[in-house]
Amino acid sequence: MNLTLKIWRQKDKATPGKFETYKADDISPDMSFLEMLDVVSERAQQNGQEPCAFDHDCREGICGMCSLVINGVPHGPEAATTTCQLHMRKFKDGDVIVIEPWRAAAFPVLRDLVVDRSAFDRIQQKGGFVSINTGGTPDGNALPISKKEADLAMDAASCIGCGACVAACKNASAMLFVAAKVSQYAHLPQGQAERSRRVLAMMEQHDAEGFGSCTNFGECEAVCPKEISVRVIAEMNRDYLRATLVGTDA
Amino acid sequence: MEDGISPPAPGVGKVVSRVHGSTIGQKAVMAVSGILLIAFSFGHMVGHLQMFLGAEKYNAYAHFLQSMGPIKWAIRFGLLGLAGLHIFSAAQLTMRNNAARPIAYANNKWLAASLGAKTMRVSGGIVLFFILYHLLHFTVLLVGTAGFSGENTFPLSQTRLLNGVAVPVFVDNVFQRMVVSFQNPALALGYVAGVGLLSLHLSHGIQSALQTLGALNSTYRPFFKKVGPALAGLLFAGFAVVPLAVLAHVIDLPK
Ligand code: HEM
Ligand code: SF4
Ligand code: FES
Repeated sequence: MNLTLKIWRQKDKATPGKFETYKADDISPDMSFLEMLDVVSERAQQNGQEPCAFDHDCREGICGMCSLVINGVPHGPEAATTTCQLHMRKFKDGDVIVIEPWRAAAFPVLRDLVVDRSAFDRIQQKGGFVSINTGGTPDGNALPISKKEADLAMDAASCIGCGACVAACKNASAMLFVAAKVSQYAHLPQGQAERSRRVLAMMEQHDAEGFGSCTNFGECEAVCPKEISVRVIAEMNRDYLRATLVGTDA
Repeated sequence: MEDGISPPAPGVGKVVSRVHGSTIGQKAVMAVSGILLIAFSFGHMVGHLQMFLGAEKYNAYAHFLQSMGPIKWAIRFGLLGLAGLHIFSAAQLTMRNNAARPIAYANNKWLAASLGAKTMRVSGGIVLFFILYHLLHFTVLLVGTAGFSGENTFPLSQTRLLNGVAVPVFVDNVFQRMVVSFQNPALALGYVAGVGLLSLHLSHGIQSALQTLGALNSTYRPFFKKVGPALAGLLFAGFAVVPLAVLAHVIDLPK
């Protein structure tokens, strides 16, 4: 297939970027989106042009490194799929594809399509963990957890920290990400001791990083490659308000 | 709980600074003020529907509200305070949200938001002007008052004794003001448009407020995504039917 790509090019954080148009000819529909970009980059390099920078790592939908807003949708047109798992057969011959970076004040562009997502790391460092001093490995099934609670925790824990929720949110809010990280522990006995402190500290960092606030549009849920539901946001709001009004360990 | 073992719950100052100083806190202020304003709106709507019961009943009801004295003023200031908090938080969050995405997408797609959701700021802003006009019109009696003079008191059938003689109780003729106003098609249709926008605001607002307060889960959310807009539609119908009935002369001045 032959495609036209409009790719955001930006030298560094400080320099304003702009779109540049590239021809992508003879693309196999079996290629992944990133393989297509590899081919385009390689050809650019052969012609002495600077290849375009984009993030990627595992290329199997589990690491959360790949990004790209493709024709206005983070991770492209296929639901519940990361960019690395998106295939070119989802596009038509002759398509014009607009490729932009995640756009948020809290995710500054480092180069071309690569953004700095370390704001997520700083939020995680504020409480996205359970502090337990190590000891002997506990026996399996020593702590009873109902199937329902375990499922809710596991669903939240499937967040790969890609940031598509921020990219899709009209307010560049990271509520879905933070709520997933809060919810995964809120459903487990191990998470209870630090429950109030965790939600307050992580949200404080979220706000300090300059992410927007949630308007409950549900755009994040629609693009999340791991199908994290906005029910985690309701849970986090409840925990946050409870911790604010009556929390004792904060 | 002050049991001497757990540290005390956060004090009032800390709660206020956490609510005011956080996005979730400010959203909660919007949601709580919004829900209380909705509760008032439903009461107000039921009040208006008494227009269908005629001048006697409606004026007696209006007189009852007017005679509440300090309670009336408490409610008025309470409503103003709620509206103030709602608008203040809306403005602050909107500025924050605009700053959170300094460079817009060239290709900006919407995948999930409803029309009501997309237009929250516009509908809220216009509703503010509608409410201000409404207050200047019917409460302060400053604008749109053509026809308000003249027969402006109404004798209730209820009587009181004056020097041993039974005389009717004269009350403010609010019924007449309503009818005269809504016989003007511009005022009537403007009013319908105003409550239409309020209803659009609430078609997203009701379920959004519940989500903000953490009241929804995977079962309730789909439910309130339907019930929220339905309640908003009910409010629209209840408010809009009065001016439309006046225009159609279903409600008219007593002959
Ligand atoms: C007077 C002018 C008004 C303005 C400027 C206004 C503005 C707004 C805005 C911008 C939002 C969305 C905020 C966000 O999600 O971050 C909102 C939400 C809301 N508004 Fe209003 N509004 C107004 C009047 C009203 C009235 C009269 C009611 C109720 C009768 C109301 C009920 C609500 C509710 C329930 C929400 C949802 C709160 C939430 O998402 O948690 N608003 N308003
Ligand atoms: S919630 Fe979904 S979209 Fe957001 S960071 Fe996690 S996996 Fe990515
Ligand atoms: S590259 Fe790891 S999820 Fe896409």
